[in-house]
Amino acid sequence: MLVSLMKGVLYQEDDPVLWQTLLQQQGRVRDHVLVLGLQLMLDEAEGYACLRQRPMGGDEQELPRLVARRQLSYGVSLLLALLRKKLVDVDASGGSSRLVLRREDIHELVRLFQSDGTNEVRRVDRLDADIAKVVELGFLRKLRESDDTFEVRRILKAFVDAQWLDAFEQRLADYRAHLNEDHGGTA
Amino acid sequence: MDFATLETLRDKHPAWRLLVADHAAFVISFLHGSFIEAKARAWSQRELSLRLEDHLHALRERLGEGSLPRTAEAYLDDWAGALCGWLRKFYPPGSDEPHFDLTPAAERAIRWLAQLSERPFVGTESRLLTVFHLLKQMTEGTEQDPQARLAELERQKAELEAEIARVRAGQLEMMEESAIRERFQQMADTAHGLLADFRQLEHGFHELDRALRERIATWEGTRGELLETVFGEHDAISGSDEGRSFRAFWDFLMSPARQEELTRSLERVLAHPAVQALQPDPRLTRIHFDWLEAGEHTQRTVARLSSQLRRYLDEHVWLENRRIMQLLRGVEQHALAIRNHPPGAAFMELDEPAPSLELPVERPLFSPPVQARLTDTEVREASGEVPSEALFARMFIDKEQLREHVRDALRTREQVSLAELVREHPLEHGLAELVVYLSLAAENRRAAIDDSNTQDFFWTDARGCERRATLPLVLFLR
Repeated sequence: MLVSLMKGVLYQEDDPVLWQTLLQQQGRVRDHVLVLGLQLMLDEAEGYACLRQRPMGGDEQELPRLVARRQLSYGVSLLLALLRKKLVDVDASGGSSRLVLRREDIHELVRLFQSDGTNEVRRVDRLDADIAKVVELGFLRKLRESDDTFEVRRILKAFVDAQWLDAFEQRLADYRAHLNEDHGGTA
Repeated sequence: MDFATLETLRDKHPAWRLLVADHAAFVISFLHGSFIEAKARAWSQRELSLRLEDHLHALRERLGEGSLPRTAEAYLDDWAGALCGWLRKFYPPGSDEPHFDLTPAAERAIRWLAQLSERPFVGTESRLLTVFHLLKQMTEGTEQDPQARLAELERQKAELEAEIARVRAGQLEMMEESAIRERFQQMADTAHGLLADFRQLEHGFHELDRALRERIATWEGTRGELLETVFGEHDAISGSDEGRSFRAFWDFLMSPARQEELTRSLERVLAHPAVQALQPDPRLTRIHFDWLEAGEHTQRTVARLSSQLRRYLDEHVWLENRRIMQLLRGVEQHALAIRNHPPGAAFMELDEPAPSLELPVERPLFSPPVQARLTDTEVREASGEVPSEALFARMFIDKEQLREHVRDALRTREQVSLAELVREHPLEHGLAELVVYLSLAAENRRAAIDDSNTQDFFWTDARGCERRATLPLVLFLR
């Protein structure tokens, strides 16, 4: 049980048996990972679970991080934010709980925020690389059917949360101010 | 039904558009055969396009090769598109393949067409009786005066007693054949209609869900007010009129006694000579099982929608969603402003979805290099002729490609043995290729060569000889 959680996100649909076990032994798993400075994130309704770094209280001794942090490029960060928005939209419009996007849809989503440069090919390539990166992060899943259809995994909700977006917005605002200084207010 | 309404209906309504479509006969015959006749609620894309291929093939033989030039997939996508709206394309939970279902609008158009040719005669009596019956149910059901109810019950009792007395006396009233035929017709109509209603019902539930979510998403007040206005005390979806009627229907049908009664009556009625003369669809005897199946489908949809809606309204989620939308608006504005000067490399950080574990034991340990033993042999002058074409016929083995095979295999596993690799990518150059694999293993710090175990390799060489090689166990590790 613990081992599979240590290895990555556990989805209900991937392994219903293991999922049941986890639900039954939730308390024990929580206690167990607590001493490692981790916490169990479990969303029963959405059907996923994973381990995350536990924020330390003021007087607790800081443990070394077990969960590595990934550096994300600006393009990937923006893509994640936009996918998160798409998830909110889908939730607001009802219907299927699964969000499936084609590659063109994702391109369409991001196009507005890319520079108007003339090099279309480079733009597309870069975005495809970003998409591949998000797939690698595990937030997009290629559907077996075809190469160009992706499902946005709902675990994205747990990672790209209000806190993260807040930080993202803050950093963008700083960057924009910085740009304005450099370019004398042209940006 | 004024001019403008009809005009928009003709442009916009999928049912009408289906009727006036260029290939209406082709589309409708296919949809009818696949969904209505087969009583199917969902086809996977693969199955449905196979069916359509068959259908297209048959039609092309009749109409000539050039007609209906597009592929089955293209047609299906078209029909599911916003312009047509005859099919609903969706991903069912737990499946990666898109599925198709008929939309209620298309079903209505098809049923209307079916009615054009049906109906050997029009029975008015049974339908008048149905109207009477319904009215009576309503007046009785809403009667509040106990005296009036009692009087009605007494009247029915007297009627029943009179009939019992007549039967005792040997007077049996038999229903006329035409009356039977008429009732049967109506029964069959309603029974089939019910099946169609499920689709409509499910569509209705989806609509209801969408409307509710829209209201929730655009709600400006507090959450408490929202819950009050949208919900009252009931679950919005299963508490709606349709939801409750469906619940009642379901409870009625689920009772085993009712099912048995239905089966028995259907068999008896279908065996009656007057009904037999109508040549009824034999599948009608199973109609209640079809209802059960279709009903279950709807039941699942209702349950799923209800639980999703509850989750959506969950306080935490609701607040977080609002905050997120706010933040996203800010992000988008900034992103637009800086679109021509995107920031460089690393911008944000994100936790990995799992702790990163480096297991020391998984790393290969030091193993002493094998000492090559050199033996002294006298080197003599070569005597025989060496055919020079052997130099040219040397084959070329792409080392990079083999390295790619290893990397490929390790993407999904922790380790892979050479034997597994060869199974996945059969040897093309025989021994030479094995040797290259060995040299790869020797160069690679994360590969192990275990002399204590061996693996056998078989291949057929260029001259057609069976060859076998026994090598030490070679493992590539991630």
